[in-house]
Amino acid sequence: MKKPNETAGSRRPERRRTGPDKVKIRLLSTGVRGFDEILGGGLPEFSFNLIGGAPGSGKTTLVHQFAFANATPERPALYFTVLGEPVIKMLRYQQQFSFFDEAKVGTAVRFINLSDLVLEQKLDAVLEEIIAQVTATNAGVVVLDSFRTLVRKVAIVLGELEVQAFIHRLAQFLSGSEVTAFLVGEYVEEEVRDDPLFTMVDGIFWLSQVTERNSVVRKLQVMKLRGQPSVPGLHTVSITGDGLQAFSRTLGLDTTPAKSSHRKRLSVGVPELDAMLGGGILEGDSVLVAGPSGTGKSALATQFIAEGLRHGEPGIMAIFEERPPSYTQRADGFGLKLGAAEKHGTLEVLYLRPLDLSVDETMQAILDAIQRVGAKRLVIDSLVGFEMALAPGFRTDFRESLYRMIGALTGAGITILSTVEVEDNFTSLQFSHYAISFLTDDIIRLRYVEIDGQLRKAMVIIKMRGGNHSKDIREYVITETGVTVIPPRHTDYSKLSTGIPRRSGPRRAQEDESPPEPKATVLGA
Amino acid sequence: MNKTTPALRKIAKRLILFEWPSVASSASAAASEDPVIERLRPRLRRLMGHGGTRALLARALIMASSEAPWLSAAFVTANGDLEGFERLKSEIAPTTFLEGRVIFLAQLLGLLVTFIGPTLTSGLVGEIWPHIALKERDFGTEQ
Repeated sequence: MKKPNETAGSRRPERRRTGPDKVKIRLLSTGVRGFDEILGGGLPEFSFNLIGGAPGSGKTTLVHQFAFANATPERPALYFTVLGEPVIKMLRYQQQFSFFDEAKVGTAVRFINLSDLVLEQKLDAVLEEIIAQVTATNAGVVVLDSFRTLVRKVAIVLGELEVQAFIHRLAQFLSGSEVTAFLVGEYVEEEVRDDPLFTMVDGIFWLSQVTERNSVVRKLQVMKLRGQPSVPGLHTVSITGDGLQAFSRTLGLDTTPAKSSHRKRLSVGVPELDAMLGGGILEGDSVLVAGPSGTGKSALATQFIAEGLRHGEPGIMAIFEERPPSYTQRADGFGLKLGAAEKHGTLEVLYLRPLDLSVDETMQAILDAIQRVGAKRLVIDSLVGFEMALAPGFRTDFRESLYRMIGALTGAGITILSTVEVEDNFTSLQFSHYAISFLTDDIIRLRYVEIDGQLRKAMVIIKMRGGNHSKDIREYVITETGVTVIPPRHTDYSKLSTGIPRRSGPRRAQEDESPPEPKATVLGA
Repeated sequence: MNKTTPALRKIAKRLILFEWPSVASSASAAASEDPVIERLRPRLRRLMGHGGTRALLARALIMASSEAPWLSAAFVTANGDLEGFERLKSEIAPTTFLEGRVIFLAQLLGLLVTFIGPTLTSGLVGEIWPHIALKERDFGTEQ
C-alpha cells in the first residue's frame, strides 16, 4: 500500500522513467496534498496551464501553494495580478495559510500588479512587462491572475483577434522561457469548447463547488494534462488552514488484493466466538458486525481492538456515534485498558463527527491514523454513523469510497471490523441496510430473541469467506468483561433467527437450569 | 483609527532623516519631493496599482491630519502626488514640519501593517532600504 499520508509538498520532484530517446520531463510537486497523486506524480515542468472555476473555488490558493512550493530566489515565482484581487489583499489573506512563507515574499515569490497597464488598454505593454520581468528575474514560475478578466476587458476594446495574438505571443514566450506557467480565471465550463486558449494550454485544472441542501461540496477535475496519465474524475477538495487538500478518488491506494495465502487467525477477544469463527478472524479480513441497538456491537469491537493490543497489534477505532471518553470509559469498565494504549501511541480513537465531511476526508483521516500508529486492526463504529457524518452530497459516494478503502486496507493485511445497526423486525434476518455484504469477508449477526419470557441475545456467523465456520446460533450475554458467549442451553427451539423461536417438540424434562440473566421479579407476586 | 506606534514613528523618522537629512532645515529640497514616499511608491504601485497607492496615501494623510491638523491642507492628487506641502513648509516651524511628515509616514506604514502584517511590511521596507537595520518586531501593532 502506498503511504496514505505522504504529503505531496514534502516529496522530492520525481523523474519519470522513459526510454533513452525520450525527453525526460521533470515532475514538480504541486505543494497541494493529494494533487500530485491525481496528476500522476506531479505537474510537468515548463507546462503551460490553466486553472479555471467559479469565484471562491480555491484557484488562487492552489496556485499560491504551487508558487511557494517551487519558487527559489534563483528561479522565483512571478505572480502577475490583472484586474482581479489586488496584491495587497492577496497577501493579506493568503498569509493566513500555513504554506505562506513570508520570508519568500519579495525574493522567491514576487507580486506584480499589471492592472494599470490593462486599464490603459496597453496590451503590448502588458506583454512587454511580463517579458521584461521574467527575463530579468530568471523566473521559474509565472502566474497570471485573473487572465479571463484581462482578455475579456481587452477583447471588448481591441477585438478578439488582438487578444488571440496576445495569447499566442504570451504562450510562445512562456514556452520558450523554461517557466511553468498558470493562467487563472473565472471560466465557466461552456467556454472550454469555444475558446482556443483551452487547446493551447498543456493542462486544465477545474475547481468547482456545488451546494447540496445545506452543504457545499468542493471538487477538482483534471480536464486535460498533456504527456501523462492522471486520475480521471471529480476529486474532493477541502480548504483548511493548510490551504487546499485534494483527495484522489483512489485515495492514493493500491486496490490490488495482496492477501497472503498463509494468513493467521486473529482472536476477537471472545474465545467462544473465535471457536465459532474456526479459530478466529483471518488476518486481512473485513468483518461486519450487524445488530440492533444494545446488542453489544461496540463492546465486541472494543474487545477486538483490545485483544489485538494484547498481541502487540496497534489499532485504530474510528467512532462516529459516541465520544471517545465514554468509549474508553466503557472499555475500562470491561477491564480493557485502552487509555494506556492511547498514551503509548499504539491506539488512536478517532472521533469523526463534524458535519459536511467528505467521505474522502474522513477516509484520509483514518488512513493517516493507520500510518501513524502502524495499525493492524481497524474498527469503524458504525457505518451508519459514518454515513450520517458526511455531507448529504457525499453520501452517494459512500459505498464506492468505502469499497476502495476496505479493499486497499485489507489487501495490505489490515483487519477491519465494522459495525452496522440494523433493526430486528422479528420476521426476517437482515444483515444491513446497505448492500455492503460484498465489502465484507465475514458477517457476524447479533440479534434479540424472545425465550422463556425474556429478550435475550443471540449471535450467528452468517458468512466467512476464508473457511468453514460454526452454523450454530449461540446465546450470549454482556457481562463486566464484555461480550460472553454462553454454553448451549438444553432447550429445543426453532426459528431463533426470527426472534420469536418456537419450541420444537414436546417439552422435555430437563434439569433445572437458571436463565443466563436473572428474570425481573414482580413486586407483590 | 491611529495606526502608528512609537516604534513605527522611530522607523519613519529614521527613514526620513536617511533619505532627506535636510527636511528640517530651511534649505531643503522642495517639500513635495518626499524621497521616502518616492522610493516607496513603485513598490506600492506594484502591490496595489496606481489607484490603490493613491487611496493608501490619501488614507494615511487623513489619519495623520487628526493628529497634526495642519496636514489637512495637504492632499493627494489624481496622479497620486502629494501636494500642498510646499506652502505648508514655509508656514510651519521646521521641527513641526518634520514631525508631521513622520506622523504621515508612520500612518502609512501602520496601514501597511494592518493590511499585510508586520513581517511583510518589514520585508518591503527592508527591500528598499537594505542598509538600514530594522527589527521586524518594531513593525508590530502593540501601542
